[in-house]
Amino acid sequence: MKEELRKLEQEAIGELKSVRDEKDLERFRIVYLGKKGLLTAFMRRLGKLPPDQRPEMGRAANVVKARLTSEYEKAKQRVASHRERLEAVLDVTLPGRRPPRGHLHPITMTLQEVCGIFTRMGFSIVKGPNIELDYYNFEALNIPRDHPARDMQDTFYVSENVVLRTHTSPIQVRVMESQDPPVSVIAPGKVYRRDSDVSHTPMFHQVEGLLVDRGVTFGDLKGTLTHFVHQMFGADTALRFRPSFFPFTEPSAEVDIECVICRGAGCRTCGQTGWLEILGSGVVDPAVYGFVGYDPEIYSGFAFGMGIERIAMLKYGIDDIQLFFRNDLRFLRQF
Amino acid sequence: MKVCLSWLKEYVDIDMSPEALSEALTMVGLEVEGLEPVGSGLERVVAARIESLEKHPNADRLALCRVNTGAGTHTVVCGAPNLREGMRVPLACPGADLPGVGAVSETEIRGVASWGMLLAEDEMGLTDDHSGILELPEGATPGLGVAEVLGLPDWTLEIGLTPNRPDCACVLGIAREIAALTGRRLKQPPIDYREQGPEIHRRAGVEIRDPVGCPRYAAGLVQGVRLSPSPFWMRYRLHQSGVRSINNVVDVTNYVLLEMGQPLHAFDYDRLRRNRIVVQRAEDGSRFTTLDGRTRDLDGETLMICDAERPVALAGIMGGLNSEIFAGSENVLVESAYFDPVTIRRASKRLGLSTEASYRFERGVDIEGVTRALRRSLHLISSLAGGAVARGLIDEYPEPFSRPTVVLRVERANQLLGTELGEEKIRKYLEALEMDVESGGRGQLQVRPPAFRVDITREVDLVEEVARMEGYQKIPVTFPRLRGGAGPLSRDLVLRDRVRAAMVGFGFSEIITYSFVSPEALDILHGPGQDPSTEAVKLLNPLSSEQSVMRTSLLPGLLAAMKNNALRGEKEIKIFEWGKVFRVTAEGPLPEERPFLGVLMMGVFQRKAWYNTLRAVDFYDMKGVAEAILQEIGVGEAVFRKAQDPPGYRPEVSAEIVVGESQIGLLGQVAPRVMEAYELEKESAFAFELDVEALLGLDLAGKVYRPVAKYPAVYRDISIVVADSVESAAVWRVIREAGGDLVESVELFDSFSGRGMEPGQKALGFRVCYRSQSHTLDGVEVNRLHEHVIDRIREQTGGRLREG
Repeated sequence: MKEELRKLEQEAIGELKSVRDEKDLERFRIVYLGKKGLLTAFMRRLGKLPPDQRPEMGRAANVVKARLTSEYEKAKQRVASHRERLEAVLDVTLPGRRPPRGHLHPITMTLQEVCGIFTRMGFSIVKGPNIELDYYNFEALNIPRDHPARDMQDTFYVSENVVLRTHTSPIQVRVMESQDPPVSVIAPGKVYRRDSDVSHTPMFHQVEGLLVDRGVTFGDLKGTLTHFVHQMFGADTALRFRPSFFPFTEPSAEVDIECVICRGAGCRTCGQTGWLEILGSGVVDPAVYGFVGYDPEIYSGFAFGMGIERIAMLKYGIDDIQLFFRNDLRFLRQF
Repeated sequence: MKVCLSWLKEYVDIDMSPEALSEALTMVGLEVEGLEPVGSGLERVVAARIESLEKHPNADRLALCRVNTGAGTHTVVCGAPNLREGMRVPLACPGADLPGVGAVSETEIRGVASWGMLLAEDEMGLTDDHSGILELPEGATPGLGVAEVLGLPDWTLEIGLTPNRPDCACVLGIAREIAALTGRRLKQPPIDYREQGPEIHRRAGVEIRDPVGCPRYAAGLVQGVRLSPSPFWMRYRLHQSGVRSINNVVDVTNYVLLEMGQPLHAFDYDRLRRNRIVVQRAEDGSRFTTLDGRTRDLDGETLMICDAERPVALAGIMGGLNSEIFAGSENVLVESAYFDPVTIRRASKRLGLSTEASYRFERGVDIEGVTRALRRSLHLISSLAGGAVARGLIDEYPEPFSRPTVVLRVERANQLLGTELGEEKIRKYLEALEMDVESGGRGQLQVRPPAFRVDITREVDLVEEVARMEGYQKIPVTFPRLRGGAGPLSRDLVLRDRVRAAMVGFGFSEIITYSFVSPEALDILHGPGQDPSTEAVKLLNPLSSEQSVMRTSLLPGLLAAMKNNALRGEKEIKIFEWGKVFRVTAEGPLPEERPFLGVLMMGVFQRKAWYNTLRAVDFYDMKGVAEAILQEIGVGEAVFRKAQDPPGYRPEVSAEIVVGESQIGLLGQVAPRVMEAYELEKESAFAFELDVEALLGLDLAGKVYRPVAKYPAVYRDISIVVADSVESAAVWRVIREAGGDLVESVELFDSFSGRGMEPGQKALGFRVCYRSQSHTLDGVEVNRLHEHVIDRIREQTGGRLREG
């Protein structure tokens, strides 16, 4: 029992050292000194000892009790004074030590969001070269040489037959060349046009989408893009499809969304129309299937493409497209 | 294409508001990009009659007009040359506010009070004419608002045309769409003139020598015209469509072009040698002066209109100086033709000359409408400029156009659109667009589109028309079934997302820079005397030399971003870019594209805060980031070696990153000469680049769990003094090799030179962790092994244990 008492004392003293606040202190008191505490329990057991050992053990237990009680009082004082000191010195408004934090480019964030929406629908992400053959960028998309549709995009040339891709659409052709239907892909990437002014940069980003399978309809195109717009801009965002022209789709449609700034009332951003053009789309033209060997009597599909800068500008309220490529940290740190 | 509403209303009844009309046109594919009122601000402009005219007492060129406004007479000072008594004129009363003039008030001009202002056409925004005051019709009652007199307000619609709809590049074409849309009837422009004089064939001849370039050429002749300015209504419409008025003959050709979409050209008949027209290709290398006065070099492909001796016009693009209408012209030969779109487009591109005519020819005009437009112009010329229209027309048309028949399967249309439209409805839609439709039985329609619909040759073209007429908004919204679901992300995309997330976590911000840079930006990386630009892909038509070659490195973009931010006063620059670099290769038709990661830091490690001291970034900051990224993506065995001439880096403070035998990246301090080129010679920057393609070639370690050690470890520290030239990694390797399997890890915890050390020496402190997987190591065993390790270090690195 002597050994037991020694151990109890040691443990208690050790524990007292790690006491930091009133809560710890109270717990200590209950466990060791309380009426149901360890020391009290020990003393009760003294009665079972042979009478000759009782007085000695009793004394020893009392010494321990006295010591623990005094140590407890000291600890109590220590805790109290520590608290006072803390309360006097701690400035909770002092900035914490922040871990470093960088920022993704807003174009990256927008691309991730757009691609996320489509991959959740079941589209796979594919990529293609930035420097592209005229064949893929134009010819196989039903834009022959000498066709006025070539005027729709000013092109950078590397050689007579090699261009910087003017859109992500060539990836459509590359994908269809390499696999049979069903095809459901999106293709994000950089595109280039020989155009630079307040509202144009010679490089920007697009996401292209393509779905080809049996029985795909224009209605499916509407459904897919409606879902996208609702995910991207909110479920209450109105949108409209209106006829347009792209050489590789027919029927072709531009997609306008209700202006996110004025909610359709008309403002400077939407040119007072209440609508913002964000997407080009359409049913894949059978001429394109001719280039990749798909049978248009069996398969149909739709394609769409969107400019990511435009979407990012709407999403974050950015009014100057040049900001994306100026890489000003004061701009980038806001994302 | 810009047209005014009042003109459209001449051919179709419109009872929609201009806004509703714009919306309706936009929704059938004729996007109205602008809708502007004409004659705004005319509220306080009234018709007035000039009662009398007097000279201004103090100014020769000014007159005092007594004008009657119905409500009274006032004196107005005016300097226009065309004033006369009895003339009806627009008068801006005091209080009027015109966009082109400003606020009008009672003023004093050269000592005489002037009540308001008489207005010229340009001052009311009607035309660009400022030659005199607009003369209102005789019937204009004084006091009546001038807007009412002129049928204002009017509106201009700016319509963005897609390349497939040249038929809508005219007022009639747009009116036709409106008619189809609203179910109204389209009214054709009147053609009503009397032919007099001789038969045209006796006066002129046309020969087509190139029927491919020119499938149809028609001509008419008017003799004895009187050239003069066109009447107001014509000048007004031309101006609102953005065409300058010249004279009543030339204006008619432009007017009919805008009205019917058929480009016309008026030749001075007397200047055509032997009164002949020959259509043929130009002589290769010949030159020709167009009516804008510019001399142009021709090649053998350019289609020319010639007379008996020489070229007189660039076919379909622009007339020649040698045959154009001039002030003394009396007899006019009008050309109306159909030219091959590709021929015209090539010539237009080659010459860099695009006109209203070439725009329409290269998209395809209505080959069947050639003579109607010609007759319309003869009608207008003879009614505006007088003269006698020769009998008949010349019409060379070797192979008349026959309308193709396109079969439309009703079921197919519904299949593609996701609709359930009946055959009757589809037929009605197509007929509204002036197509001949016959039932072919079995749900098929035999459709013959009109010649002006050059865009309709296939079934799917008709499907689009059906969808347009039905209205895209009415097509039901459905959802496709995506079979198979999304495939796995490719490895490079997975890697990219992980690296980006890690870099952001390390405090770096992502930048995106242009893929093209200046050749100098690449040259500067390689230092003097080296020409790496041979491997860079060059653009044939860059916007500027600053953006003329495709980058072969991400450094130029990072450096430019560093510079821009540093010059702005940014102190803590930590940036990265993930992007492709491009190189010419011998293989394949396309250059090589390789994704890279580029990282750069400059300035302070961390901005000053209450808890830190300011310090500049250094090599090891950058190396740490590189190591962390390599660890993140599972490249375990990368080693850093002193690099030989790494482009852009300072050789003494740089390393190549190597896995096995292949280099996967470079790391180091940006070379001082490069910093100087970016105007930051006083700063130090550090960067690294990783070749992602090379990384993807590696067998990247996946994450595999290894059991947590069961037996305790024993740690021993070694402090060893070696020569400066000994790399820490060499010592590290010795420890690992000598210690064998029982060495679990070796960490360098100290590297020290300077005070207390002999020059040329440094102290390295390693903490070695010994652990066995099979038992608890005892002291004797560890000590023996540790002694062995120290002996090996001594032997292999020449080092000695540090005392104390």
